[in-house]
This record gives sequence, C-alpha cells and structure tokens, in this order.
Amino acid sequence: MNLYQFCYGIVHWLVGLVNNIWYWLGDFLPWYFGDLFTAIGNFAASEGHLWFMTLLVESVVVVVIALINVLNFLWIFRKLSGRILDFYGPYYVGYRIGGWLQNLADGMKLFIKEIIVPTKADRLGFLLAPVIFVGSSLTILAVIPFSVDFGISTSESGEYVSAGALFALAAFSIAPFAILLAGWSSNNKYTLIGGMRSAAQMMSYEIPLILCAASVFLLAGSFNFVEIVDAQSGIWFFIPLFIGFVVFLICLMAEVEIIPFDLPEAEAELVEGWTTEYGGMRFGLFYMTTAVRSYAGGALATALFLGGWHGPSFLPDEIWFLIKAYIVFTVFMWLTWSVPRIRIDQMLVFGWRRLLPLAVLNLLIAAALKSGGWF
Amino acid sequence: MDDRRKPRTTGVVLNPMKRTGKQLVRTLILGKPNTVLYPEEKLDLPQVYRGKHALDFKKCIGCGNCVVVCPNDCMWLEKVEDPELGKIERPGVDLGRCMFCGFCAEVCPTVALHMTTEFELADSDRENLRLSPLDIRDDSFGETFVEEREKRLVPVLDLSKCDGCEKCAGECPEMCIAMMPIENTGRKKPEINLVKCKSHGKCAETCPEKALTMTEVYESYFDMPEPKLILDNCSGCGLCARKCPSEAIYMLEMPGTEKTLKNGKKGKPKKRAVFVLEKCVGCGRCYQACKFDAIDMPGVRK
Amino acid sequence: MAEMWINMGPQHPMTHGLWNLRVKVDGETIVDAEPEVGYLHRGIEKLCEARTYPQIIPIADRLCYGSSLTWSHLYCLTVEDLMDIEVPERAEYIRVMAIEMQRIASHLMWLAAYAGDLGLAVGFTYTMRDREVFVDLLQALTGSRLTYNYPRIGGVAHDLPPDFERDTVRAVQYMEMRLKEYEDLFDGSKIFMMRNVGIGILRKEDGINLGVTGPSLRASGVDYDLRKDMPYSVYPEMDFEVVKHEDGDCYARYRVRMDEMWESCRIIRQALQKMPTGRWRVVAPRNAPVGTGLGRVEDPRGEAVMYAVGDGTDRPYRLKIRSPIFVTVSAAPKILVGYKLADVVAIMGGLDMCIGENDR
Repeated sequence: MNLYQFCYGIVHWLVGLVNNIWYWLGDFLPWYFGDLFTAIGNFAASEGHLWFMTLLVESVVVVVIALINVLNFLWIFRKLSGRILDFYGPYYVGYRIGGWLQNLADGMKLFIKEIIVPTKADRLGFLLAPVIFVGSSLTILAVIPFSVDFGISTSESGEYVSAGALFALAAFSIAPFAILLAGWSSNNKYTLIGGMRSAAQMMSYEIPLILCAASVFLLAGSFNFVEIVDAQSGIWFFIPLFIGFVVFLICLMAEVEIIPFDLPEAEAELVEGWTTEYGGMRFGLFYMTTAVRSYAGGALATALFLGGWHGPSFLPDEIWFLIKAYIVFTVFMWLTWSVPRIRIDQMLVFGWRRLLPLAVLNLLIAAALKSGGWF
Repeated sequence: MDDRRKPRTTGVVLNPMKRTGKQLVRTLILGKPNTVLYPEEKLDLPQVYRGKHALDFKKCIGCGNCVVVCPNDCMWLEKVEDPELGKIERPGVDLGRCMFCGFCAEVCPTVALHMTTEFELADSDRENLRLSPLDIRDDSFGETFVEEREKRLVPVLDLSKCDGCEKCAGECPEMCIAMMPIENTGRKKPEINLVKCKSHGKCAETCPEKALTMTEVYESYFDMPEPKLILDNCSGCGLCARKCPSEAIYMLEMPGTEKTLKNGKKGKPKKRAVFVLEKCVGCGRCYQACKFDAIDMPGVRK
Repeated sequence: MAEMWINMGPQHPMTHGLWNLRVKVDGETIVDAEPEVGYLHRGIEKLCEARTYPQIIPIADRLCYGSSLTWSHLYCLTVEDLMDIEVPERAEYIRVMAIEMQRIASHLMWLAAYAGDLGLAVGFTYTMRDREVFVDLLQALTGSRLTYNYPRIGGVAHDLPPDFERDTVRAVQYMEMRLKEYEDLFDGSKIFMMRNVGIGILRKEDGINLGVTGPSLRASGVDYDLRKDMPYSVYPEMDFEVVKHEDGDCYARYRVRMDEMWESCRIIRQALQKMPTGRWRVVAPRNAPVGTGLGRVEDPRGEAVMYAVGDGTDRPYRLKIRSPIFVTVSAAPKILVGYKLADVVAIMGGLDMCIGENDR
C-alpha cells in the first residue's frame, strides 16, 4: 500500500462518515433543501473531489513529517555544533531526550515577540519576502518521495510528478528573489548588501548545481525521482560522477547559505545580513527555513547521487533515505564548523572559474558514460 | 624552534576537518565537553579568590583602615551592639559598588577581614547589596585556612606599666631599643626599631614590670601615616586615647603644670597624649577626633 | 552601485568594544575609511589624580580587559621609577612570568575574536577554552579572573601558591600541544589563507611613520620589541627571540602573534627555572617625591607608556597613558583602502583592537 492509497482510504472513510450524517440531516429538511444536501453529498463522494482531498492529505502528511525532520535537523545542528565546539548544546529543555525540545521552546519564545516593521521599509515587500521564502522552500519537499510508496503521488499506481527533480530545483532557485526582496525592502544598507550578495551567490552557484543534476538526469534518463533512484539500484551515481557529487555538495552549501558560504548573513560584517530587520517569528521562519533547505538539499543529494532509498533490507526504505539525508547534513555541519567564511569575490571566482568547468567536465563524463553504453 | 611546524597551505579543508573530527570524537564518544554545567557543578576556586567579604568581629578593632583604603568608597563604619563585645564599630560593605580589589583585606592590621570564595552575590534589589557588618560577620572563617600574610613576634609596649628602667635596651642583642625621653613628663619610654628587630624576645623576658610582651603582629606593606602631636595645642582631654582602636595612645601627666587651687592645694597636673607608634595602625581617628588641632597627620582627610 | 558610507559600529559585531568605523564603499570595495573613537571614555587619567598611589592599581587594571595585568604592571613600574624603589628579584621574576601568561591569554583572546570575525566558530571556542587554562593559573596566583590587581608598588601581592610551578609547566606543555592544533586549524585551512595572505598590507614606512607598534609593526618587518630594545624588569636575563615577519599582511600579523606565544612559553619556563627565593615585596612609601616617573613596556598590543608626575603628596599630580591601540587605529584608513568590505573584519581584527585602553 502506498501513501496515495492510504490517504485515499482515509479520505474515503471520512467522506463516507460525514455523508451518512449529511444525508440523514437532509431527510429531515424540506425537499428543496434535501436535494441540495444530496447534491453536495454526491459531489463530496465524487472521484474528483476524493482525488483532490487525497492530494491535500498527502501534502499535509509529507510536510508534517518534513517539519519533524527539520526539528531533528535543528537539534542535530545545535547538538553537533556544540560537541564540535566543545560545549553541550541544548541540554535542559527536554533533558531526557537530549534537549530536543529546545527548538520548540525557542519557537514559542519567538512567537510571543512583537513583530516590528521598520517605518521606512517597503511594507508589502517586507511582509511578502518571508512568505515567498518559506513557501518556495516547503514546496521543494512536496516532490521528494521518501521511498517508492511514500511520497505525494497523483494516482493509485503511485506515479509521482513526472518532472519532480526539475520542479525541486526550480523551487530551490526561487529563494534569491525572496532574499533580494527582503534585503531591498528593509531599507537598510546591511540588508541591501546582504541581498545583493545573496543574489550574486545563488545565481552563480545555481548553474553548476543544475549542470551536475543534469548529468544525473542524463544517466538516469528521467526527471522523475523514482526512476532516478531506480536507475541507481546497481551502482550509486556518486561513484561514476564523483566530481559532480563534490561540486553538487559545494553548490548545495552555497544555496543553503551555511559557512563557508554564508556571506549574505555574514554576522561579523553585515550584522545579520538580509535578516537584520526581521524580528520575532519572521526571523524564526527564516531560521527554520534554512533548516528546511538543508533538509531538502540533503534529500536532493541523496536522491540524485546516493542511491535514494536503496540499502540493506533490515531497515525500511524510508529510514534509509532519511539516514542518508542526515549523513549529508552532518557532513555539511562538520565542514561548516571547520572553516572560516569565504569572501564574496573569491567565492564568485571559485564558482565561475572552478566549479563551472568541473561541472561541465562532469557532464561530459556523464555523456561519455551514457554514449558508451554503461548506463 | 625545531618542533615548530612551518605554515602549510595544503590540505584545503581536510586539515581543519581532521581537527574538528578529533574533537567531536573526544566530546561525543570518549569524554564529555569542556563546559562546566554551572548550577550543578562549580569551579574549584583557589583560596586567594576575592569574593564576598568575611569579617571576624573578635579580631577586628574597628580602625577603619579598610574604609580609608577603599578606592570606590564602598565601605563604611557602622555602630553595632554585640552581646559579647558591647558597643563597637565595624565596617559594612556595599557590594553594588565594590570592585573586589581586595585592598580592604590586605590593609587590615589584624587580619580580621577576608575575601571568601563566595561569588554568587547577585540580587534583584540594590538595597540588599548593602551588607551591614552583621551580614558579613563570619568569626570562624580565618580558621578554615592557613593565613598567608606574614606575621612575626615583636615586643609591644604597655606604657602604663613601663617605669623606664632601661633594662630592655641593655638586653637587646640587635641594639634596636633606645630609651627616649618623653617631653615634659620626665619619663622615658623604649623606642623599638621594628625593622631591625629579630624577635629574640629578651626584652620581654627581662622587663620587670611585664610592660613589654611579645605579640604576633601581621606585616603591613602599606605605608600608613603617623600622627604627630603638637604639644602646645594639646589640652589633655583624652578623646584621642578613647578613640584609638589599637590603644596606642596613653595620657601621661606632665609634672609641674599643676594649678594652685583656691584652697592652696595643688590640683591634678595637666595630661598629654603619648603615641606608641609600634602599635599605631595609621587609621587617623585620633586626628579626626581631636578638637584642638593638636594632632597632625598629613594625607588624611578630616 | 553608487558610493555610500557604512557605519561599522558603535554597535556592530565587528567592533570588539565601542567604536565606530565609517567606511565608504563602492559596491563592496572600500574607497575611504574613518575611525571614530571615544565612546568608552571613562576619564581614567583624571580619575587617577583623585586616588592615592595604591588605589590606582585596580583602576589601571581596568584599562584593558584583555591584558589587565600588563597595565597594572606598567603602572607599578612607573611609580617605582617615580619613587626610586628597588623591587626584590623574586618579585621581578613572578611579574615576568605572570605578564607572559597574560600575553598568551591576550593573544589567545585576540585569536578567538579574530576567528569569530572570520566566521570560524571553532577557532573561537577552542582558543577561549585554552585561554581558560592560563586564566585559571592567574586566578590561582592573583585571586581574580579578569582584573587581577596583582602587582604592587614594590613587588607583587602574594607569593606563588603551592603547586604553582607544577601546574605552570603542565599548562605550558598543554599550550604548546594546542598551538600545533591551531596551526592545523588555521594555517592548514585553505580558506583561512585565502582570507589572510596579501590582505591589509601595512608597509614598513607607513607603520613607522604612523607610530604603529607591537605585533602589527613587527609583522611589517621592523625589529622593534621593548623587551629587547629597552629591557625592563628581568627580560635581559631571558633567552628569547623577537618575532618578526616581512610581509606586513594579515597573515604576517597572525603569524607573529602565534610565534610570540611560543616565545612566551619559553620565557615562562625560564622564569620558573631561574626564580630565586626570598622576599616578594617591599614597603612602598606613601608619598611620592616631587618629580616624574616613566614606564614603558611591551604590551601584547604594542608599546604602552605611562608618565606620572608626583608633587610630594600621596596622589599623582598627573598620570598620562599612551595607548598602543590609539595609535594603531589611526593607521586603519591607510590599511583599509582598496580592499573589500569583508576584509574590514580581517584587517581590524588583525590589529587587535582593545577599546578600553584606547579611550581610557
């Protein structure tokens, strides 16, 4: 049973339950109301409506699981950084589960803070930027399945969005727009520079990222996550495309904006970069969304290069997928805490002069492998 | 120089990652992080740590040197009544202004004031930080450790018993006692050069009146001002002797100054103050008490 | 993008303390810079005129939170010069040992702040953790963790605590082990080198003309260290080398400080070996004679000078403090122009700002 069937079952059962009551209510009413009730009930029981509701429930399930993962990620982020930096990290809040509740406590604290919009800020842009940022980042999660059976599919047979990987990459690259909007509308020099840096950074690292992904699409012959992962059942793509894997990870770090590529929010130079003027839960959303994007990045790297949910069968596929995504994230964190921040011009030089040729080389390797008939 | 590593530029990010990885293993698997979980664990503080004050009421003589030396003016003398010691003056401290320099403990001539290792002094009310002498009273604190201030045995003179026999001056092997006449009184008192004194104790042994006793005195590195008497102004009221915390001022009669009363008898002779400077702690209270400007103490605020 | 002024300060993560660096940027490139200091002025020089000589020692401690022992030592040197006091030899050795510990602690704090500026949080916590070793030692020696109030006019406040020598040797060994780790963490990292090599070059002539002293000058290739050139205390009896570097960039400044920590470890070892027994303090007179006293020491940040005028009373008539950072910060525009905005943190962090002594 896949997720679609499961959710369809739930929706079907719920609609049946509600409709029973509905029709029963309709019996007590005059005929013209009763007919309306019957029409509504019939619409609710129709196949199109059930399909739509199933998709909604699927999204909710996937996003909730993703957000729990995000909490885990934040917890790992704080705990691991603590251990690497030689302190405990979250400790007291949720003492028995290793301080896991600290993020919830911080979130509650951010919720009760006042939301301030600077007087001279562009109000619409200022308020819209977090929405775009969070929305686009959560959209990525919608198309990444945890396993063959666990993801947002549109039919009973378990077909996923046919160009899912492309959609994920597209959603990934909406963020610079939101960041630029946030930086510009805050009416602050730091945020402006941060936004500009972010735009330059994301645009220049988008290209190697997509080229590396393209090499994977070339080998797998599909944009569909399931088919990409199925193509890796023999050999995971990071072995033939090792250069591409490394470049992909570096570009992901730049996209996710963590040290050494956290120039847009370089706190020593630009106070807090483009999030300087945001306070309260808006800042909390930005903070959370960074983890969402880390998770999405880890999931993308897992699906495209690390064989997705393939793994020894003593664990379920979904767990394997998560373990791999967590390992990618952990390596990110390890690298993050080991190196200082890079400078913007060096970063652009690195992106255009090193990563882009490497990505093209990787694409050529992929083309050679494909045309050689190995894949 | 040889064991120093030359700067290297290789190992792009792997060298630092190796270091942080080792640290991760050290804190996650082999041991635990370096943090001291404060409310549960506390650091071991050395005995010299300067925290909250502790005052030994029995040792304290109420001289107020701590008040004088305090750079922040955060100490004051307060009158307290003790069932054992009677009406006394003891210092209180305002921790809100204290900068914990420790001069008050260092200047204390009787080592009655200490700095404890207690550092949790925060309070939500500023008034609670003003500690009265009773708040900092801890008579047994000095017994909990070995006092590190140097002390030595020196002869201390009780001038009321001394009859000026000069035996001590003859016995001293270091020749550090000289008998000096006291002006207008016709008496002599031994002046002891404490710098040369080697604590033999022979002067105290030979003293027939037991006026010299060997007493343990703490070394002071602070050069405190000494009082000087302006004899012409002294009225012999004795206020300074009553105020002196270390009982270093004696009121001696001056023979030949008796007034003839109406009935022909001679009255009591006038008195003057005599300072025994070996006992003086330099607090300046005599100077502050004197109403006739008979005591001069340069550098002390009146 | 048009040119614009950016205020980096007075409340900005780059400024370690309260000061303002206004930089004019063209895009990300700096075309002009203008330091503004004085936000932390506490009037210490005037404050000292109303205090007796011993009472100034804890105030001199408050000049710089990074190396407070050096400043109270300097004050005591000045007043000893004014009063003509001969300090016992043991006290001199204890002082030298303590200020070398303070130098290591100060350089470690600088390294921590520098790493934090560059975004290397690991560098921050590791160096602060290892600074704690020396802070603990100084705490056992002096009784306080930050403002030590340890030197006295005519000696030091206490003798060494029991087991202090053993702990010091251990700490020095630990430090030498850790310094290698730092060299992996910093020198071994390509990104750190990219951020430092060739950034913020201070030429030799500029450094001398602007009056820059200390590690920043030695990194420009000038062999100037008061511990060698105008020896005070017992430094002539110590065997150590003056570290210098020819390049004059941020990496050279970093390297000079790292090597100075190695030299300080050597000096601490020697001071422990050569330390004589005996008294550690003499009684200082209460009143200073009419005259002047001058003290010059090699602070961790440069050449620090104090000049005291005595007028026969127990309070100084005037106390003048020459802060090395006040001079170094004036060289900032010269160094900054032409580099990127992100280099501001590397350059200003590399100069080791300490606003407490700067504004006095």
